Amino acid sequence: MAKFSSGNRIPLKNGTAVVKNKLGEGGQGNVYLAEMNGCEYALKWYHTNSLKNPAKFYDNLINNIEQGSPSPVFIWPKDVTEIIDGEFGYIMDLIPSEYKCFSDFLLTREKFPSVRSVVNAALNITNGFRELHRRGFSYQDLNDGNFFIEPQSGAVLICDTDNVAPYGESLGIAGKARYMAPEVVRNLKAPDVMTDRFSLAVILFRLLFLDHPLEGKRTLCPCLTEELEQKFYGKIPLFIYDKQENSNRPVRGVHCNVIKLWDLFPGFIREKFSCVFSQECLHGQKPRPSDNEWQIAFTRLRDCIVKCPCGGDTFVDLNEDVSFCINCEGKIPRPPVLISKKYAAALFPGNNIYRCHIDVDSDDYLHKVGEVIRSRNRPDVWGLRNTSGYDWKVTLKDGTESILQNGRVQIIAVAKSIDFGGCVGLIAM
Amino acid sequence: MANIYDDVVEVARRTMVLFFVVDTSGSMEGSKIGTLNQAIEDVIPEISEISQSNADAQIKIAVLAFSNSAKWITPKPVPAEDFSWDYLNASGLTAFGDACSCLNEKLSRNAFMSEITGSFAPAIFLLSDGEPTDEYIDCLDDLWKNNWFRKAIKVAVAIGEDANKEVLADFTGDPDAVLTAHNPEVLRKMIRFLSVTSSQIGSKSSSVGKANPDAAPSKQDDFIEQVQIASNSGDFAEDEVLW
Ligand SMILES: [Zn+2]
Repeated sequence: MAKFSSGNRIPLKNGTAVVKNKLGEGGQGNVYLAEMNGCEYALKWYHTNSLKNPAKFYDNLINNIEQGSPSPVFIWPKDVTEIIDGEFGYIMDLIPSEYKCFSDFLLTREKFPSVRSVVNAALNITNGFRELHRRGFSYQDLNDGNFFIEPQSGAVLICDTDNVAPYGESLGIAGKARYMAPEVVRNLKAPDVMTDRFSLAVILFRLLFLDHPLEGKRTLCPCLTEELEQKFYGKIPLFIYDKQENSNRPVRGVHCNVIKLWDLFPGFIREKFSCVFSQECLHGQKPRPSDNEWQIAFTRLRDCIVKCPCGGDTFVDLNEDVSFCINCEGKIPRPPVLISKKYAAALFPGNNIYRCHIDVDSDDYLHKVGEVIRSRNRPDVWGLRNTSGYDWKVTLKDGTESILQNGRVQIIAVAKSIDFGGCVGLIAM
Repeated sequence: MANIYDDVVEVARRTMVLFFVVDTSGSMEGSKIGTLNQAIEDVIPEISEISQSNADAQIKIAVLAFSNSAKWITPKPVPAEDFSWDYLNASGLTAFGDACSCLNEKLSRNAFMSEITGSFAPAIFLLSDGEPTDEYIDCLDDLWKNNWFRKAIKVAVAIGEDANKEVLADFTGDPDAVLTAHNPEVLRKMIRFLSVTSSQIGSKSSSVGKANPDAAPSKQDDFIEQVQIASNSGDFAEDEVLW
């Protein structure tokens, strides 16, 4: 394989990259730091004999570049190199140092400062995959090594997108047993959207609970051979909290995190995992929850986060009068709730409402349209500020109607409902 | 400020032991053992980094040296990040049979393989430049009955033309898993490449999607594939025959 040193000029389809130094090497090839038009990029250069079909791989890269990145979370190929002596590579953005590899969170080299950051990360990952799949791609090889998270905000970057291919195209990329769908582990099927959904569920599970959803009492064994991996992740996988079968429960002293964290999350989230890892879904007798279902579930989860007086973020059950803080076990009375068709958002100071809360046709969880604030003089008075850019129509409890202009605040306690323009949200106290 | 993620603990990882089984007989004296010592010492930080950033398994290192008899340099496997390489001296005979027996004894749940969170099969890296001087055949046969050994990634480097490559192939079970180094430069490259690659493959969940339906993948096959890619790319090309 060609080895580059500082100053080597690599011709690209649209320009030239100048190699600065080597950043790393792996089974598939080497990664270099390179410069182009005064900006720094990563240059990945392949061992072409590590690729099953280099010509197809090259064409796929070009196709992906032409299609463009489905979402800003992907570190997408920017340009391919020309083919030099049968070898090639591509350039992509560098990962900023504040983003930490997901395996660092599993190894607790990095920790999330709050459940809010974790839930944001879950939303960002899920949305990235939703957009990827909507554009007709599948990712194929999702594992703990290929995505990066900024711990505070939960912002996400997903790399290794050179393996991304249109549905039905297989680049012959082999994934890791621990993250691949049982039918892929058993070599019954090439990776596709449905198997991506399994990998996504494993990642989301580990993001929340750290431990692995299929590793419990039954998988503890002196030597995990390839045959046993084939069994535990392929032929007879069993969810650690399977509803019918309890022989693979997490083991005290080994799977400590999930034992501690599982019950702290609301039932509807646990239910989603129980569903995706049920025997029916594991064995493909029932479709796995879609990316959109996960995105809605995590939007709902974010909707019920409030700040406890202890300073920690916690979940409130919007159907119960009182919830208990997951950090200090203190009582938290239910805050006012904005109820729209699909969502119910806690109107708690510091929380925001988003496009998805005021528009029935939208699942946009990023575009902020309002914020809940606390009166500076009277902290027990909470208000909802309209930041949507247009006027809302508010109906008060006494029946009077008024217009809430963009930028203005409505005292929540006296409001009954808000007409966001075609979609009405009820305020429940 | 309280937060439920404050006291999460590192996920339970399996362990993968990388064994260096090193011939320290008299014929290794000089540039052979010198190069070997330095090359292994140099690759340890890289192995340590693979271990520390790996959520599947941590890597431990065990060293067995054999000359007049075999001797464990590490009384038990040592985590890669705590391991430092003691330079080995070369003198005496080539008690390869004794090395097989020692390995067989420790490849057991009651010895080196006693991790509560379990292990992956080990990676075993044999380096030798000669011919066994003891009755090794029965010992090697017994070793092959050990399941840990059978499942291990096995690789050997023959140092120089005098090494008995057939014996090394009997050890690895595969002539493709025996490489020959004829000079220090290539020995250094091989030690680095084989240690890193066997650690990477051995310490990760196995790669799937390549075999026949319901057939388990083989880490040894994946390993050999990587070795062949490197060989075919000319990574171990030798322009000088010194040994
Ligand atoms: Zn609290």
